[in-house]
Amino acid sequence: MRIKCPYCGERGNDEFSYLGDASVKRPDPSAADASDAFYAFAYERKNVAGPMQELWYHAAGCHAWLVVTRDTRTHEISDVKPAQDVALEQQKTASAP
Amino acid sequence: MSNLANGLAAGKGASISERSDIAVTHVAARRGARAALDDAARTAFGTALPSAPRVIEAGTATIVWAGPDQWLFIEKAQAGSDPSVKLAATFQGLASVVDVSDSRTLFRLAASGPSEALIRGMGIDFEHNSFKPGDVAITHVSHLGVMVWRLPDGSGYEFACARTYARDFRDWLGKV
Ligand SMILES: [Zn+2]
Repeated sequence: MRIKCPYCGERGNDEFSYLGDASVKRPDPSAADASDAFYAFAYERKNVAGPMQELWYHAAGCHAWLVVTRDTRTHEISDVKPAQDVALEQQKTASAP
Repeated sequence: MSNLANGLAAGKGASISERSDIAVTHVAARRGARAALDDAARTAFGTALPSAPRVIEAGTATIVWAGPDQWLFIEKAQAGSDPSVKLAATFQGLASVVDVSDSRTLFRLAASGPSEALIRGMGIDFEHNSFKPGDVAITHVSHLGVMVWRLPDGSGYEFACARTYARDFRDWLGKV
């Protein structure tokens, strides 16, 4: 499998390390159900069969975190974005009126 | 390292040398300061900093892309005048500036094209001249982290690796 880093270009997966589901968000610690929410945040994951967004780290390259859209059945990668850009985009959407 | 590295021949008659008497400074842009940092670089070096994996010669400094919003500045070491101190002043408030001269070892491979070691041993594409003069890559070689760039004038390649791995990397570079 090869991943096209938005900064470095296409590289072998030996240069990357895998974190997992990129859609998981840290819950609000002041919420009433914070304990359950943190349990789910830390341990509960979907076992996706198909395309999913994942966090990968270009450890042996530019040291950027990436959001990779990968089909778990075929390893086909349809999109790679810098995680920073994805986070900023989400912030913008969340703060929009 | 110097006596180990100098004058030994690589494949195809190319020669490998360790670069000495240089100062290496790591510069990382502060959040939101990139545009102002480019302005400061234009004033001091006559150029904006590269946004893509490229190396540029800018007067007294060679500026190497070292990841998003990060660069290595390679300058001549001078007694009594520390280039990294000067850079810290130039980029005050806009970037984090760290002298990494003692943590990086730089080698130069003088060659008009890639050696067998590069083509066969590195994970990036060197064949058919796809790694052009001025191109930069951050990658690894047998688990050793290394930066490689092709000199803008096409006269060779340079490599930066952690000083503690320099001997191993030099051995690898001289193979094939
Ligand atoms: Zn990268």
